[in-house]
Amino acid sequence: MGSEMEPLLLAWSYFRRRKFQLCADLCSQMLEKSPYDQEPDPDLPMIQAAWILKARALTEMVYVDEIDVGQEGIAEIMLDENAIAQVPRPGTSLKLPGTNQTGGPSPAVRPITQAGRPITGFLRPSTQSGRPGTMEQAIRTPRTAYTARPVTSTSGRFVRLGTASMLTSPDGPFINLSRLNLTKYAQKPKLAKALFEYIFHHENDVKTALDLAALSTEYSQYKDWWWKVQIGKCYYRLGMYREAEKQFKSALKQQEMVDTFLYLAKVYISLDQPVTALNLFKQGLDKFPGEVSLLCGIARIHEEMNNISSAAEYYKEVLKQDNTHVEAIACIGSNHFYSDQPEIALRFYRRLLQMGVYNCQLFNNLGLCCFYAQQYDMTLTSFERALALAENEEETADVWYNLGHVAVGIGDTNLAHQCFRLALVNNNNHAEAYNNLAVLEMRKGHVEQARALLQTASSLAPHMYEPHFNFATISDKIGDLQRSYIAAKKSEAAFPDHVDTQHLITQLKQHFAML
Amino acid sequence: MAEVKSMFREVLPKQGQLSVEDITTMVLCKPKLLPLKSLTLEKLEKMQQAAQDTIRQQEMAEKEHHQVTH
Repeated sequence: MGSEMEPLLLAWSYFRRRKFQLCADLCSQMLEKSPYDQEPDPDLPMIQAAWILKARALTEMVYVDEIDVGQEGIAEIMLDENAIAQVPRPGTSLKLPGTNQTGGPSPAVRPITQAGRPITGFLRPSTQSGRPGTMEQAIRTPRTAYTARPVTSTSGRFVRLGTASMLTSPDGPFINLSRLNLTKYAQKPKLAKALFEYIFHHENDVKTALDLAALSTEYSQYKDWWWKVQIGKCYYRLGMYREAEKQFKSALKQQEMVDTFLYLAKVYISLDQPVTALNLFKQGLDKFPGEVSLLCGIARIHEEMNNISSAAEYYKEVLKQDNTHVEAIACIGSNHFYSDQPEIALRFYRRLLQMGVYNCQLFNNLGLCCFYAQQYDMTLTSFERALALAENEEETADVWYNLGHVAVGIGDTNLAHQCFRLALVNNNNHAEAYNNLAVLEMRKGHVEQARALLQTASSLAPHMYEPHFNFATISDKIGDLQRSYIAAKKSEAAFPDHVDTQHLITQLKQHFAML
Repeated sequence: MAEVKSMFREVLPKQGQLSVEDITTMVLCKPKLLPLKSLTLEKLEKMQQAAQDTIRQQEMAEKEHHQVTH
């Protein structure tokens, strides 16, 4: 009995079992034996197979779904020339989310991100960090509402992934792209497709990938929709949205695929045309009725346009088709929580727990829901789990911050004080914790400390109305009317419908008129 | 108890309007549900972390190498 398995078969088996590193190593060994390390000899199909298998294994290791990837770096946001209208009409742009508030919870109930959107229940790579209005706002790193990740850190991610793949192989890159004869590969469609994915995902060399795709589509006499989609993907990465749109549309004419609809919608979202994207999704739904990813796309757009109620409807539609859809469950859950129905939110989050989601965020949410649904027995244990499962300091900070709320709720001011302090220890930029700490200090009568804390909070998160309003209230009390007025105006800008702010402003105006 | 009763006497208006002074109170920021992360995001973060670790290791190795040669 032969103890040695055929190496190529073994490698293939590794690949199928998703042991990509082992597969790649084995392929490398096989390739070392052959004199051609760069290009496979056409006469040696075994070597060719090993070569392409290694390329596929390396691709799979770093593969992320291109539909989900859509990070906007600082340059794309600030130097965006693709939007059609600089001052769009209300309800037609993702840039002005506040204009379309229909039935959504107000910022008095649901916290908002820096972009002025209510915080979402689900985070994706492309969850818009918001398009900041000014360069200064863009550079400032807003970590406060967590969907607003620091914008600057996003700009280099693609590049870094590319370099990472080079670093891991000590002998340099597996395929030397500059020495590759693309025309030759374009004539072998099966090789070309795997090679393209390798270049696109692993090497992140979009330009070479585009060259290969262009040659291949020419070779297939423009009859292969797959290549058109790939060209579109390359154009999208290069920021040439209109060209990408053409490619995707042409691909759709040949062969209608859900993926292509999603890519095309992504292009429209980048062009800031949410209404066109919505129409496209509906077209897609005519062809593929009940397709979850299309329904989910619609819901996401509604959510980003601040149209929470219709977003919730579409998320429910998603759940009718697929009742294990994590994103839909999480979004509906958070929606219920912020519309004052924590019991129902609790059921959604418990469903997630049943499905095997087991992380810090979920236990934090469970704890909050339990507390506000008056199921006190589970509250603290949930938060304990959340703290134990936290992966980084920012998560820990958020859990402590929410625990502070529980402490406020049961009236234990000392515990609340400690919780908010711990939130700040873990994340020194936690604006909400600063604000709440200020409120607690004010209850103790420490005016100066409260003022300092509020100033920190409002400089960290100018988009929140609470610190501005609180600062205005304190300043009003101690007679600093001018500062109070300035802060109240800021609060009004952040939350125009806040009644107390309006009261304060009219009061102050009367004061000034009397002077 | 009798003393206390004499000290505080409740006032309930039998007629006319009852007015309550509206004191503006400070507002707390609201509790924050944490958004769950999508699989893609988790994978991206994991890969970025791994890449950073590799870079750090290589840098450390280089540093050691330098120290040995000098």
